[in-house]
Amino acid sequence: MSRLALAAGRVAAQRAAAAARPVGGRARPARGRGVRPGRRPGRRREWGGLLFVLPYVAAFAAFAGFPIGYGFYISLHHWNGIVGDQGFVGLSQYTQLFRANTLPAHDFWAAMRNTLIFVAISVPALWAIPAVLAYLIYLAPAPGFFRSVYFFPTVFSATAVGSLWTVLFATQGGAVNGFFHVNVAWLTSQPWAWIALDAATVWWTLGFNLVIMYAGLTQLPGATFEAAAIDGAGKIRAFFKIALPQLRSVSLVVIVIATIASFNLFAQPYLMTGGGPGSSTTTLTMDIYNQAFSLLHMGSGTAMAFIMGAILALVVSVEYVFGARRWRQ
Amino acid sequence: MTTQPGRTWRRARKRLAVTVAVSVGAAAMVLPLLWLLGAAFSPSQQALTGGLLPGHPTLKNFSVLASGSASGVPVWRWLLNSILVSTAASVLVMVIDSLAAYGLARTRFPGRRLVFALVMASLVVPFIATLIPLYLEFDNLRLLDSYGALILPYTANAFGVFLLFQFFRQVPVELEQAAKLDGAGRLRIWWRIFVPIGAPAIATLGILTFMNVYNDFFWPLVATSSLNMRTITVGIAVTSISTYSTDYGLLTALTVFSAIPMVIAFIFAQRRLVAGISMTGLQG
Repeated sequence: MSRLALAAGRVAAQRAAAAARPVGGRARPARGRGVRPGRRPGRRREWGGLLFVLPYVAAFAAFAGFPIGYGFYISLHHWNGIVGDQGFVGLSQYTQLFRANTLPAHDFWAAMRNTLIFVAISVPALWAIPAVLAYLIYLAPAPGFFRSVYFFPTVFSATAVGSLWTVLFATQGGAVNGFFHVNVAWLTSQPWAWIALDAATVWWTLGFNLVIMYAGLTQLPGATFEAAAIDGAGKIRAFFKIALPQLRSVSLVVIVIATIASFNLFAQPYLMTGGGPGSSTTTLTMDIYNQAFSLLHMGSGTAMAFIMGAILALVVSVEYVFGARRWRQ
Repeated sequence: MTTQPGRTWRRARKRLAVTVAVSVGAAAMVLPLLWLLGAAFSPSQQALTGGLLPGHPTLKNFSVLASGSASGVPVWRWLLNSILVSTAASVLVMVIDSLAAYGLARTRFPGRRLVFALVMASLVVPFIATLIPLYLEFDNLRLLDSYGALILPYTANAFGVFLLFQFFRQVPVELEQAAKLDGAGRLRIWWRIFVPIGAPAIATLGILTFMNVYNDFFWPLVATSSLNMRTITVGIAVTSISTYSTDYGLLTALTVFSAIPMVIAFIFAQRRLVAGISMTGLQG
């Protein structure tokens, strides 16, 4: 979850790229003509420009491009974390995940199920709660102050949040049990463990989505809501009829960010439940981490990570297709 | 006209209801943090039940932490590691990304489209897919458990290239032409014109990168192994899982301690942070 903002960046940049590329391409020649009359723009090759992108290209090659290629190579081998390459095995570490009777397959799909349970709760919550709160803050006095308060927990690290809520959810004398006058084993029994993990995560990251959605609301002309009020539409009606439809594109961004972040859930269960009770909160990233760094099966761990990446990409593109289609209507 | 006061009253009441609802939510956000503060200043045995206002406030947890060696938890080293790594990574990202964004926005070089495609590609790569090979790559380079391992992977930051590309495209061409007539080279134009004009966007990128790196958990967890090379976020995890799992006073104090730099950053750069995050939803 600590890569939340990075994920946000990815989404925003993808959108920016789609919008910017053709425009940038067209703008260039016009400028060129102004600077050097009579010369065909674009023909002049500026090798100097290459020097400017070189540091980025080098960083990309070393820490993104190469690892992907190397990772595929590793995934085709039995690769021990200490000894290294132990022989080529082809695609078997991928195919074993789709055969029901192997242990890695069992653990992988159990972890997938666990991850999807978390995603199914956290993504709707991380969309709906910030949407309502952003609208309320928009209507309330001192919106800047309230926005800051809700945003504040976002600046904490996943581990700070994890250790804070571990203590708050403690069964014996924990603050949550004290506050509600109950005696629930929050972190060691189900379904409470999921509720605790989701509550901590929503508390931690809702401010991030709220900031995005509040910015979306302020993009609307102020007169929109006044006109609705004159029409006699109540505040609640205005939320569903005006605010939500206007927030559609922003909602898509928020949902995609929340999906990516929730799929990658690691630190909260790692710290709060240790993947338990049993292995019921062992997520995909935890399973892959165990495979690679506890069992030292680097090859099969990488294969699992690639499959997980493909599934995540599929889920996100489905969201995009649905989001874009509803958008056009 | 007789309905006028009634309507005003109703409107005021609605406004009050909204304010109360938002305030209750805000209290729910803040309460856990206040409790954390209270626990950190409570004696260890009472940290769990101490509540918001500790009965016997004490600095003992913090003095145990600060003395490092006594608790076996080198917090100062961890904090120094975190600040050093986050600062280095954000400076590198600001320089690398603003250079690349300038190159892409204002020069036409062979392979420009290919570089664009590369940037696009790195946006869709899930980090989990690169984690294990990245670990083995640094292992091969004998760079695990070093500052190099903690800093370098963050330099491939495509988000920043796009953010600044968007910004630099809008810089008026006239500014650049004037500088060219004065005989300024490309590097000089970048440094003297684009960096100052883009300063707000570059600063936003810097603070976002700092926050990401400071708070990152997964990579520093696998990339470091010795106690002295841990960052503060991994340090908390190591502490909470091992020795101090039951010493809640010390654990909460460590949590408060670890958050201090980010709280300071929040106070001074809140506007930039919020502006940067707002942008993620509004582009395109």
